[in-house]
This record gives sequence, structure tokens and C-alpha cells, in this order.
Amino acid sequence: MANDKLQIRKLHTLSSENRKFSFSLPLRHSIKIGNRNYEVQLKQDDKYGTYILWKNRKYPVEIIRSRQNKYEILFNDISYTFTVETPFSLQRMKVLSKQKGKADKEVVKAPMPGKIIDVLVREGSQVLRGEPIVILEAMKMQNEIQSPVSGHVQKITARPNTNVMKDDILVEIKVD
Amino acid sequence: MKIKRILIANRGEIAIRIMKTARKMQIETVAVKTAVEPNALYLSFADTVFDNTEDSSDIPVFLDIDKLVDIALKTGADSVHPGYGFLAENAYFAEKCLQNKIEFIGPSPDAIYKMGNKTIARKIAMANKIPMASGHQGNVSNEEEAVKIAEKIGYPVIIKAASGGGGRGMRIVRKTEDMEKMFQIAGKEAEKAFNDPSVFIEKYIENPKHIEFQILGDKKGNVVHLGERECSIQRKHQKLLEEAPSGALNEKLRTEMGKIAVQIARAVGYYSAGTVEFLLDSEGRFYFMEMNTRIQVEHPVTEIITGLDLIEQQIRIANGEQLRFTQKDVRLEGWAIECRINAEDVQAGFAPDPGKIEKLSLPDDKYVRVDTGIQAGSAIVSSYDSMIAKLIVRGKDRKDALQNCKKALDKVWIKGVKTTLPFFRMLVRHPKFQSGNFTTAFIENLDQYHSNSEYEEMLAAWLATKLFVEENLSDESINIDFRNSREFSPWLLNKRISQF
Repeated sequence: MANDKLQIRKLHTLSSENRKFSFSLPLRHSIKIGNRNYEVQLKQDDKYGTYILWKNRKYPVEIIRSRQNKYEILFNDISYTFTVETPFSLQRMKVLSKQKGKADKEVVKAPMPGKIIDVLVREGSQVLRGEPIVILEAMKMQNEIQSPVSGHVQKITARPNTNVMKDDILVEIKVD
Repeated sequence: MKIKRILIANRGEIAIRIMKTARKMQIETVAVKTAVEPNALYLSFADTVFDNTEDSSDIPVFLDIDKLVDIALKTGADSVHPGYGFLAENAYFAEKCLQNKIEFIGPSPDAIYKMGNKTIARKIAMANKIPMASGHQGNVSNEEEAVKIAEKIGYPVIIKAASGGGGRGMRIVRKTEDMEKMFQIAGKEAEKAFNDPSVFIEKYIENPKHIEFQILGDKKGNVVHLGERECSIQRKHQKLLEEAPSGALNEKLRTEMGKIAVQIARAVGYYSAGTVEFLLDSEGRFYFMEMNTRIQVEHPVTEIITGLDLIEQQIRIANGEQLRFTQKDVRLEGWAIECRINAEDVQAGFAPDPGKIEKLSLPDDKYVRVDTGIQAGSAIVSSYDSMIAKLIVRGKDRKDALQNCKKALDKVWIKGVKTTLPFFRMLVRHPKFQSGNFTTAFIENLDQYHSNSEYEEMLAAWLATKLFVEENLSDESINIDFRNSREFSPWLLNKRISQF
């Protein structure tokens, strides 16, 4: 294990939109823009909690969740999801994704806990991207859950007048 | 002053707002402590706190008319201020207060009732020749009749469910050929949603601005308007940002619309503060929508450009005093913008994000006013609205106010919940918003509700990498604010425990 640690010279951090940020190890506390290096400081105090100080500005940071190599980070009130890959795991991921091909099923999950008011589609229905499929009530507000893709409804797990937890599966859609 | 002690039938920032003015006027206040938020900030502003935490009723106290009247009587309050929301526009509550010799700080029950009922309000407006989206009185029974009406008022028209709301059973029709299909769809939707297939038809106002006029009337029949508020930045009829004045109005249009607003208020014998809402089309034609018979969330922008304290005016009017100024004396000066900072996740379509506010720091610059009922440690609970604070900024003109707004937004620091801040930071930099040339369709036409610089994403990626390194490749450890209350990483927990 100790040997493995020594061998890693670089980490690749992928955003959920598949943008890749590469960092050399040992990780430097600076970010290079153009020809200049700007110092990145990770700090903490009672008033602000943890923050990053960069170019004389404080940015609030929080971890929303982290699991294995996956991190959901709140930076300046916007959340980002990253997976951090070593050169080996990145290579393995590439091979795996080639074998698997393109995902053909989209699973729609509850974005927040609440109560299902209505399911607007049936199994087999054709849906367009952006079309409302489920009405979920949370904090006295009715929220439309929209289809993230165009396709056919394969399976409906959401039932009207039932309560759901965050990330409960509502509908599965087969991508056209 | 007859009014000596006010029961605040509300919570949060508006309760504090009312109590601040009461204190200034040397009037005592009574606030109600609930089991939902027994440590809320508003309680510390009251002279007397009525403890209602033992109440086992299913109805929240702020919606319980009998209970509130009872509390007023028990605590010796001679008046009630309802704030906004809850019972603020409940004619029966106002009536019940008056019956018990408790002054209701708001309009008469009769005015609340008339303006609250859409059909009656529409009839009153019509009788007073108030401009409205032309339509048809009563329901439309078939396609042929629908076509006839549409041809009379001109396309596009909108078919609306008679018993409906919230966009369902609503269809826009742009030409005769589409009427049959749309009429049937609207009817079916209305039936499914409201158990009533009846629909009516109205002229559809394309891409309007939402402009509302603040009015004030006293019990002697004097009514003035205090200019307009621009409220077009809204999502599903929820306002997010308001400004005063509106760049879309010139002095002539302001005078004209203000006159109509005063006229409709007079038609129902209105006193206290009220708001007349209009739709304004791109040709400068305006249409009466409805009247809100309460103090509005966005009242501070009007206070800033008029220099008036609207809560004080409401109290004085309820006390029977005459307005101390006339329309001529009303001067609109400068520009004000209000951002509603809510606990909502703009990256999840403004879904509410309740939780505990871990850190809170708000700007206190001269050009900023913050109205809030929250402090660090407070919780945004799902039983109430998701408001954290109203950030109100002023400037000498719109450009100046926008500049100040940008600065103020960057100084707001909130941890623990996701907020609407990223939306506002994007909005104040959006060219269309900056131009002032936007309508109520602005938000729905956006591709994304937030924006960030590539550097911000890079810094976030750096932080993720840093965490990975600390967890997997190093013996050191760092502590970053973590949403403990939600999902806890077992890995981090182990690591933290192992440190002891």
C-alpha cells in the first residue's frame, strides 16, 4: 500500500459534466492561471466556518456528501459533484465505459423529501425532455418533476398520496 | 393614540418589522411563541410573549381565528396586526376582531371580502370602467361559442378553468383552427384537476410586465398612491426580486396607472395599505389583475423611494388618523431593489432546502437594509415559508442600485442550506435584466438559474482533490463544514473517531 501511494503522481478530478481537472502530487496550494500562480488557502474560523481564500476573496465551502472517491461540494453556494480518479482508475473507467456503451435508462429520483400529489404519465407513455411527469409537494409548494430525457416510461414507482424520501426512485425512463 | 398594545398575528421577519415600528411609536407588542420555533428571533422583539407551545390543536395558531382573538383578549391587546400570509386577507378574521372590540390593522372586512373574491372584484372593476383583459363574463359551453368570443376579443386568447388555478386547465389559443382541440384539452384538464370542466375565455396578454401600485387610504376617504413596484422577476407566480420604481413607466403612465389604482381602492371604500396589481404589455397598455388587501413582502422598496414607514401609516390609519399628506406631497426618489434570499436549491429548480442555518453574516453597509427573522442557529422549517432574509439595496438610480446590489450579494454569507444567492448573482449580471427590458417570462426562458466562473469550478475541484488526498494518501486530516444532519460519510466519521 505504501508503495502505491508513492507511485501516484497525478490525480484527475472529473466534474459531473465530465470536465477534467488534473492536479500533480504532492498537491500544491496554488492554482495557475496563465503564467501566474495564485495561492489557495483553506481556512476556518468561528464566524465563517470553512472557506477558501483566493485572490483576496473568501468563498464559503461545505461538503454536502462524500462517498469513496465521490464528493459533492458546495462552493460559493453552488454545488459541484466530482469523482477523483488516479491514473489507474481513470484508465479502468474508460475501459468499462466502452464495454457498457451508452446508458439507455434514466432513473428519475425525488430531489427532496415530500408527498407525491400526482403522477402525470403512465407506463409506456412517451415523454419529452422537460415534460412534467410527477407533482411533488414539499414545504407547501407543489413542484413539477420534469423528465430529464426524451423517451418512454418504463416503470413507475411513485404512487399518488404517498410520502417519499430524497433520492427515492419515482420513474424509470427508457431513452429513445 | 388609542392603540396601545398590538398582538402580532404572525412570525418571522414581518413580525419583527411590525414590532420595530411599534417600538418607535411607543406602542407595546405581544408575540406568540409556538412549539415549531420556540427560540425564534422575533420573540425577542416583543414586550410580551404569549406562550402557545402547549397548544395541541391541529391548526397552526397563526391560522386559528378564535385562538388569536382569545390571545388578544387575554393579553390585553387592543389591536391585531396580521402581517402578510396566514390570516392577513381573511375577512372573517378582521370581522371577528372588530366584533371583540379589537382594532384590525388593515382594511375593512368588506373590502377584504370584495377584493378577495375574483368574480366580485372583476365586476366592481368593470362597473368602474377599470381596464381589464377583455373577456367573457361567465363560462363558455362549446367550441362554437369559444370561437365567437375569441374573434370578438381578438387572438391570442387564454382558456382558463373556472374553478382552477396554478396553470392547470389553462390553454393559450393563437388561431381559430386550434380552438376545438385546445378547448377540449382545457375542459378535460379542468375536469381532472378540479372536478369541474367549466372554462372561461380571456384575452391573453403576451409577455407582460407585472407592475403593482402601492396605495394608502384613511378612514376619512382620502386615498393616495405611492408609485409602482416592478415585480416581473417571478417563477410560478412567486416573486423573487422587486424594484421601485419601474424603468418601464414614464411620468405620464405612472400618473395614469396610479389614478386607476386609487379609483379601484375608492370603489370598495378602501383604507389601510393595499396593492393594486396590473399587467403591462409592450405597447404600454395595462390591465387590472387583482388587489392585495395587506402589507406586501416587497413593501420595503416603496418605503425606500418614498421615505415613508408603511407599517406606521397602517397603525395611524387604524387609529383613525387622517393621512398627513396628499398625492402632491408624494415624492419618489432614488431606486430600490429587493432580493428574496430563500432556502431554495436553484440547481434543483428552486426546490425548498430546509435545514439549520449554521453560519449567517449579512452586510450592514449604508446602502443596504436587511429584513430577517433568522439568525445563526435558526432553522428553516418546512411548516413555514423558506425565506431567510430580504436584502434591500438603494441607489441614486437603477445603475447605482444594481452596482450596490452586486456588492451586497457578495457579502451575504450563509451556511447550512442552499439559497437563492447564486440566482441573484447571475441575475444582476444578466444583460437583459440590466437593460430593464424583461417580462414575467424572463425566468422560464433561462437555460440555467445560476452561473459561475470557470475558476470557481476549478477551485471546487481543487478542494475535492484535497479531500481525496487527505483521506486516502496522507496521515493528516482536515475538518471542513459538513452537512451532518443529512448524510454522513461513514468514512469521514471513522477517520474522525480514529483521531481521538
